[in-house]
Amino acid sequence: MTPLIAANLWEMMHGGSTHLPIALMLVFAVSDGLGCLIKTDQVRDRFYVAGFIMLIAGTLGVFPAVLSGLMLARWEIGGDGALFWHHVFLWPAFGLLIGLSVWRIIVRGKRSRTGLFIYLLFAFLAALLVSGAGFWGGEILLGSS
Amino acid sequence: MKTISLEVKAAFCAVLAALLTVGGTLGAAVLVSRSIQEARNVAKANGSPVIQPALVTQGAKLFAMNCSHCHADDATGDEGPDLHGLTKSDERIRAQITNGVKGEMPSFKKKLGDADLAALVGFLRSLK
Repeated sequence: MTPLIAANLWEMMHGGSTHLPIALMLVFAVSDGLGCLIKTDQVRDRFYVAGFIMLIAGTLGVFPAVLSGLMLARWEIGGDGALFWHHVFLWPAFGLLIGLSVWRIIVRGKRSRTGLFIYLLFAFLAALLVSGAGFWGGEILLGSS
Repeated sequence: MKTISLEVKAAFCAVLAALLTVGGTLGAAVLVSRSIQEARNVAKANGSPVIQPALVTQGAKLFAMNCSHCHADDATGDEGPDLHGLTKSDERIRAQITNGVKGEMPSFKKKLGDADLAALVGFLRSLK
């Protein structure tokens, strides 16, 4: 495989694998946030279940995205310019998503109001970090350098 | 109280899982990156791919014919960006020239061959 084809392959794989997890991560935070605001038990539970499924699916989707990104960046975890900022947002987001998923799987529905509040804070922080990583990823592709 | 205890345990597991996963990924990346760098150093020691002046001259001609319209004659940028001090890899530069950028830059796949791309990359690398 020539380097040109390899670079294109990872670029396509990274582009193809990042957008679904980004979308899921944003909607999961919104879904859990809305669930917190709704008073009807049945509707609230549906939002929580939707949020849970999206969180798990999104976190599983992050792995191919990270792997293809590492291949594309030749295993560079820092870098310069837009790549550096992409990584500044990416690595904490990656860790947070793993942590949130594990916490959610263990706790399931048995959570206190305080626990839910802290969880939601981290969920929105994760969504913010994922958005930042996505923005700087776009800058790498379309930016000036 | 039982709920809080479960949440605290879950939080501990969550932090541990996050640290292990991210730490493991970063550690693996550092190891692979180092071995790539070592391989590059060995390749350099065995015959450094120094940019040849003839390649730069050829690249400058190709640049003037194909790229200067958007990137300016001195490559400092006009409609397209400044091309001095590019941080992208040679492969990415080649890929971008070959495929273009949707809505931003045309594809030169049909116009430029491998030798032309090598010359253009050589020219771009010569820009300080």
